[in-house]
Amino acid sequence: MSDSPDERSEAAADAADTVDAAEAADATDVDVEDVDHVAGLARVDLEAAEREAFPEQFAEILEYFETLDEVPEFDREAELVNVMRPDEVREGLTQSEALRNAAETEDGYFRGPRVS
Amino acid sequence: MSTRTATEERAVVIGLEVHVQLETDTKIFCGCSTEPAPDEEPNTRTCPVCLGLPGALPVLNEGAVEAAVKIGKALEADIPERTTFHRKNYYYPDLPKNFQITQYDAPICADGELEVAVEDSRRTIGITRAHLEEDPGSLQHAGGSIDTADHTLVDYNRAGTPLVEIVTEPDFRSPAETRAFLAKLEEVLEYLGVFDATRDGSLRVDANVSLVPGEAVADDGSVPEDALAEANRTEVKNISSHKGAEKALAYEVTRQRNALRRGRAVDQETRHWDESRGITVSMRSKEAEKDYRYFREADLPPLEVSDWRESIPIPELPDARRERFRAEYGLDAESADKLTSRKAVADFYEDVADRFDPDLAATWVADNLLGELNYRDMAITDVADRLEEFARLIELVDAGELTTKNAEEVVLRGMLDDGDDPDTIVEREGLGTADTGEVEAAVADAIDDNPEAVADYHDGDEGAINFLVGQVMQRTGGSADPGEVNALLRERLDE
Repeated sequence: MSDSPDERSEAAADAADTVDAAEAADATDVDVEDVDHVAGLARVDLEAAEREAFPEQFAEILEYFETLDEVPEFDREAELVNVMRPDEVREGLTQSEALRNAAETEDGYFRGPRVS
Repeated sequence: MSTRTATEERAVVIGLEVHVQLETDTKIFCGCSTEPAPDEEPNTRTCPVCLGLPGALPVLNEGAVEAAVKIGKALEADIPERTTFHRKNYYYPDLPKNFQITQYDAPICADGELEVAVEDSRRTIGITRAHLEEDPGSLQHAGGSIDTADHTLVDYNRAGTPLVEIVTEPDFRSPAETRAFLAKLEEVLEYLGVFDATRDGSLRVDANVSLVPGEAVADDGSVPEDALAEANRTEVKNISSHKGAEKALAYEVTRQRNALRRGRAVDQETRHWDESRGITVSMRSKEAEKDYRYFREADLPPLEVSDWRESIPIPELPDARRERFRAEYGLDAESADKLTSRKAVADFYEDVADRFDPDLAATWVADNLLGELNYRDMAITDVADRLEEFARLIELVDAGELTTKNAEEVVLRGMLDDGDDPDTIVEREGLGTADTGEVEAAVADAIDDNPEAVADYHDGDEGAINFLVGQVMQRTGGSADPGEVNALLRERLDE
């Protein structure tokens, strides 16, 4: 994906808008379209009842984040930099270990629903 | 007529995003091998990190960072003081974490360029940025095509393979220029030792294509941003080679031109290059930029490696080496080109040129060896472990112990077809250059057996000498040097 500076500053501005909206702490700021959009990104089909219930629940969740504003500032620990490992092969998982938690498998593959 | 001409005079503007697979031993954030085993089973090179299991922590591969710095250096790019990683969120099973770790607003390389020869002119293509990211896994749409499959099979062996994505400025003015650029980029990456062009899927290209009014192009060939913003562009995905790029983009440019000529707009959309059909097809629109909800990858601390630019050496690059070969070995442009486009070829040439006659070495490497390899659909890398044998062959010719004809037609071909070493073939075929006594005996025989030709020669018939040379060559099984035979014959006949 190319990230033109324009698109990036736009994205940043959108993010800022979201924060402002949340700070307004008005539950009506999350509407059904927002819920549908997020559900679409997550590839989740919502029932009609869920579509109606979620705007309010989303708004509540966003309100919780405001609590973070009340956390007092503190001195950060020195930030780590340049944490790297040498380019050396390490033993991983066997195929059966890798697939052990999978709901469905087929011939050594993870098996999932059709995607497009 | 005039309006028609105006709509047809449109300039092509193309920018590329090139995904390059880095030749490290392990994946970018875990110690799993990047080297597929022969006929390997799916999901046999994975670990909790590249499977996205809860609690697993990515740790950056130093080798991938070194490779990215080398690329930045070769592209004359900056390595910023500080560079960071981001999560690009999308929900698709090729990534088990539901996000890809990539770089966003602080890539590891910024602001570079690469000079490319296109036909007779040289073009400088701007490099906007290059960043590190992880490759997704591979999907199989089982039981039909992508549209009709009834389920998906997922293999995460490839997931986490290190990639560098190189983004160019919209500096290309034709599909041919993109092909030249990609070929040159592959050359440079191969010289750096960070890339293997023979690996399947090692180069993947997306291209942004638009047509702008011809008069919008400035005198220096640049296109102002407002003209670019006004023209709708398409992003063509799924290009996998420099030849494919030229074909895909030629198709796409024609498609856009035809749409505009018919008075239709070009839709701003993503299109998929279908190599087998030779066309681009519209893809369903995917997420917009902000839908990826980029945010900092908190599990990976920032990198501060700008000083690596100085401390990590890179080899002499193809352009510089080409010029040096011309100056140092007196090669013509074509030979210098052929001998430097692959690092392995250039290294081999340099080795033999320093030991034997540089001209002879150039003919043998550029024409004979590469020609015979090419004829067999082979590359220098296929005979990498036999280069000393080829050097020995050149040595035999250089020392006059084998004739050029036999070396080319019998020994070189035998080496490639049967895998034998040159000395074995020379001995088996009895090709060693005839010693002086043998040649003298053959000359004497030829003179005794052909009194008519001898008489013709004395009457001034120059053709007669060629006949006699042929006779001597036949008697020595082609192992004598024709020039020497000619001289020796004249000496004997003129006595």
